[in-house]
Amino acid sequence: MGSRVYLLLTLLFYTAGAVQVLVHAATRRRLLSLTTTAATLLGFATHTAALALRWNEAGRFPAVGLRDVSSFLAWSLVLVFLLMWLRSKVDVLGLAVHPTAFLLLVVANLSRPEDKADPYLQTLFLPVHATLAFLGYSALFVAFAMGVLYLIQERELRARSPRTFYYLIPSLEGCDRTGGRAAAVGFPLLTLAIVTGMFWSAAARGAYWTGDPKEWTAALAWLIYLVMLVARHRSGWGGRRGAWLGIAGFAAVALAFVFVTLAAPGVAAAR
Amino acid sequence: MIVVVGVSHRTSPLALREALAFPKETLPSALDELREQAGVEEAMILSTCNRVEIYASGLEDPAPVAAFLAAHHGRRQDDLIEYAYRLAGEDAVRHAFRVAASLDSMVVGEAQILGQVKEAYELAEGAGAIGSALATLRHRSFAAAKRARSETGIGRNAVSVSSVAVELALKIFGELEGRAVLLVGAGKMSALAARQLVAAGATASVLGGRTFEKADALARALGGRAAPLERLRDELARADIVISGTGAPGTVISRADVAAARQARGGRPLFLVDIAVPRDVEPEARDVPGVFLYDLDDLKAVSEANLRERRKEAVQAEQVVEHEVREYLDWLRSREVAPLLAELRRRGEEIRRAELEKARRRLGNLTPEQEQALEAATAAIVNKLLHAPTVQLKEAARDGRGDMMGLIRRVLGL
Repeated sequence: MGSRVYLLLTLLFYTAGAVQVLVHAATRRRLLSLTTTAATLLGFATHTAALALRWNEAGRFPAVGLRDVSSFLAWSLVLVFLLMWLRSKVDVLGLAVHPTAFLLLVVANLSRPEDKADPYLQTLFLPVHATLAFLGYSALFVAFAMGVLYLIQERELRARSPRTFYYLIPSLEGCDRTGGRAAAVGFPLLTLAIVTGMFWSAAARGAYWTGDPKEWTAALAWLIYLVMLVARHRSGWGGRRGAWLGIAGFAAVALAFVFVTLAAPGVAAAR
Repeated sequence: MIVVVGVSHRTSPLALREALAFPKETLPSALDELREQAGVEEAMILSTCNRVEIYASGLEDPAPVAAFLAAHHGRRQDDLIEYAYRLAGEDAVRHAFRVAASLDSMVVGEAQILGQVKEAYELAEGAGAIGSALATLRHRSFAAAKRARSETGIGRNAVSVSSVAVELALKIFGELEGRAVLLVGAGKMSALAARQLVAAGATASVLGGRTFEKADALARALGGRAAPLERLRDELARADIVISGTGAPGTVISRADVAAARQARGGRPLFLVDIAVPRDVEPEARDVPGVFLYDLDDLKAVSEANLRERRKEAVQAEQVVEHEVREYLDWLRSREVAPLLAELRRRGEEIRRAELEKARRRLGNLTPEQEQALEAATAAIVNKLLHAPTVQLKEAARDGRGDMMGLIRRVLGL
């Protein structure tokens, strides 16, 4: 019962945050007001409590089943957002993060908890692998969002007649830098998640690589980000190509994520 | 009461504003004359190219100030009738606030007006023409202007051509520290934009054609270097921002030049501003990926879009200013009614004492009880009689009913 209430409370706070951000975007106010930040912080606090309670209730790390997965994903997304925002103060990120966190929380609140006991999940691999992966996904989502914003702003600037997004989105260089920074954080996390996933697979199934779709897509995403980061390091500027690579990489990551989640609990490691 | 008389870009042609302008050096004597002739207690004159306005206090009616404005410039009052606004009380206060907040400006939200108003007050203060009424108006209207500017976006987006160019550079490069600006031609407009970019941390170089001395002088003024036009391709490859404004009849920078520069830059964006007429940069250059080419029309389109944004913000700013106007007026009224109430009380007490004295003389010696009863009875009469007018006065003051206050004042013979 406990985690349910907290998860619902979290949804309320994130709803407030998302509505505020959207209204502010439409009325050209400063995107993140004090109230938005307060709602996000309160939501993050109740969210953390919800996860802790859920961990206790489920008797294992809460990253299995649609409810837990979307909740944990939203949590790590908000965490990464708050950390990035503290560092670079890119308000417009809220436009991508707040509605996404809200949607994930809606899914979490609507789906049933997955409570089947599964011996494969009683391992240290679950919390380590899931935490690394989810934080990685979140950072890469930020890189993806900045890539999209970069392309929109570039279009606005090339169209030479400013509309809403011209005013909303920071400079091209700012989008590029924030996206690059997020990818530079997300890539090592993704790498570690893949490595721990391989060890988990070896421990559970006796093989590091089984060739199922989630492994292929994860490898593809890893390669895309590698190319992106190397290119960026060389020229100091990601630009259009960097933006597209960030979007493509995240598409691969998202696909890998879907393959993992589609597999029933335990199956991720067992089949 | 505060009165404002004036003409502005909204109400009058430029020729009239020129005729009515007060040169700075004549202001002190004009302020003296104004106080002598129009019978005002305090005065301030704001004279800019978009408006000539006289602010004064101590009058109920702006007519004498309007007469002064005409007479001082050797005009008949009738000449001004259809152009000049004559405002008093609340309207005058609101006008003063809106002007300071740049809501009455030709370019809404422009920043100069507050400085001009500030200077006008300082000059008037130096001439000894500012008292408590205009001092509080100055203080309150400045505070409102600052609030409107910080809480809304009326001053946010660039409007002039050169500052639009700077805004676009910022939208592309984020910060200008260390960015290389290349000026092709040493025109006035290029220099203006370049100065703003250099002030933001960019470095400049100038390409000069036939008049190389001019390019050299501008380069030195900007702390950069000059080069001959033949070096265009090399310089283009090195530049982040190019401002081209030569007087050349044909194309100066071709699409091929831009494409070559772009190749050498390795994907970094290149911002080209073409402020020349006829244009210097081949229009097809805008198809080169990573190149942002803006000509004069494009800059104007951005400027217009920005102005529309400002006007949207102005709706919010009007609300902020109106709120401040209300607070100021409430404060004025509460100050207005206090002396009136004291006066009322004093008169009542005076009459009571006088009548008590007369009665005592007639009645002779009274016992302490009788004395006390007489005191109590007279005091009660005065209090009860004054109760209703006191309440009414306070209400009239709160609701801003000046007419009611005047009526009560007259009825009570104050």
